[in-house]
Amino acid sequence: MAEGVRGNAWTYRVLFVIVALAVLFFRLLPTGGVAGDWPGPDLLLCVIFAWMMRRPDWLPVWLLAAVLLTEDMMVLRPPGLWTAIVIIAAEFVRARIALTRELVFVAEWAMVAGLMVACMLVYRLVFTLSFLPQPGFGFALVQTLWSILCYPLVVGINRFAIDLRKPSTGEVDRFGRPL
Amino acid sequence: MAKLRSEPEDFVRPLRRVLVALLVLALVALFFLWRIDSPRVERFRAALVDRVLPSMDWALVPVTQGAAMIDQFQSYASLYDQNQELRRELQQMKAWKEAALQLEQQNARLLDLNQVRLDPKLTHVTGQVLADSGSPFRQSVLINVGARDGILDGWATMDGIGLVGRVSGVGERTARVILLTDTNSRVPVTVQPSGQNALLSGDNSALPPLEFLEKADEVRPGDRVVSSGDGGMLPAGLLVGQVVLGTDRRLRVALSADYQRLEFLRVLRSHTLVPITDAGALVAPPLTPDGPDTAAALAAGTETTSGANPNPDAATADPNADPSTETDGTDG
Repeated sequence: MAEGVRGNAWTYRVLFVIVALAVLFFRLLPTGGVAGDWPGPDLLLCVIFAWMMRRPDWLPVWLLAAVLLTEDMMVLRPPGLWTAIVIIAAEFVRARIALTRELVFVAEWAMVAGLMVACMLVYRLVFTLSFLPQPGFGFALVQTLWSILCYPLVVGINRFAIDLRKPSTGEVDRFGRPL
Repeated sequence: MAKLRSEPEDFVRPLRRVLVALLVLALVALFFLWRIDSPRVERFRAALVDRVLPSMDWALVPVTQGAAMIDQFQSYASLYDQNQELRRELQQMKAWKEAALQLEQQNARLLDLNQVRLDPKLTHVTGQVLADSGSPFRQSVLINVGARDGILDGWATMDGIGLVGRVSGVGERTARVILLTDTNSRVPVTVQPSGQNALLSGDNSALPPLEFLEKADEVRPGDRVVSSGDGGMLPAGLLVGQVVLGTDRRLRVALSADYQRLEFLRVLRSHTLVPITDAGALVAPPLTPDGPDTAAALAAGTETTSGANPNPDAATADPNADPSTETDGTDG
């Protein structure tokens, strides 16, 4: 990656939108499972946490809201709920950027796992409180476990594909400001 | 963000926090709006999906077909065995076909004798499956026919054999079909030989359970399940599947429709039934010109008995139903 490209957050914002649309596209293909199949991971959630842990400046809140709300609409989730939960979780990570920069990967993974489980629990809790029908707890748990297992993979792919890593101490952006 | 960082932090941070809080509040408000006034938001969703997905058609269809081809390529290995098995099955089927033809002729003769008129209003529109629900927790598909083709909410959808689901959400060019396995799906059904009514309620498993069976011990695994037409939502008598006993000892239904490969779906044009408003209208005809005649005939005595009565009934009921459908009345 050239330095000039690396400095430009907009490149990565566009890239994020493309990744999100690709994930959504492949989920919408009518090849997929019959009822009762075990669900796969929520890859978009993994990508959001992986990026938010490393470069929160690439994922502004409005972009997250737009992408997640689109996903809500397309995959028939109640609009707004999952978006709100993930945004709160993402802001939680963003507010602790000074902490996460110091974390080793295993600790980061544990933190992400906790956040994913918390997101799922809150989502289901709101479903219960608003008397919405929902699938069994096991299904949701399997999806969350899959997402947790896939998180290191997503991080690794991002590391190799777009050189996504935490900014090292003293690293500066294109305009010479510390990251 | 880059701009924000150069500004004094103690001023920007609280402002940003307030904005994020407002955004989250707006999203939660959207959720509550959806919960309170679902139809409006769902209409918006249908319109959005209708706008987005048909334009992705060029990419969706080839990738789907490609994946299907890979699937089929993998089955080449077992081609020989499959062929042998199919030959055996074909032999059996020939015998069944013979029996079916004879029964069909017999049935036609009997219907003719009874002067039964089959419902001519069940015509259908066939659509291709465009997309999945995209979520493992929702069971629905999107088909490429919509309001443009006259599709209405609530119409039944079948594949070649059995009931697949119900149209819920119609866009201009697309319609969403909620499958019977979805957690929101409730379909009134009849279990065939015993005539028990029940509710087939999807629970996101491949075998949806039968609920509200009156006498569960009269229902045995292997019984046919057809739609009952209660509530006027779906036409009666559509094949749904067979009763099986689930591993949890509940009576469930193995669906006849092939949910593994839903490629083309048939939307049945069922017209709205004329609601029965009062109990009297069912027994005696309403106040039509010949209404008093039959009432008088009934009152007069028993000489005009059951032989004469059904015919005026049929004559008055039919034009009321829907005269426009006589032109396109090809049986479904």
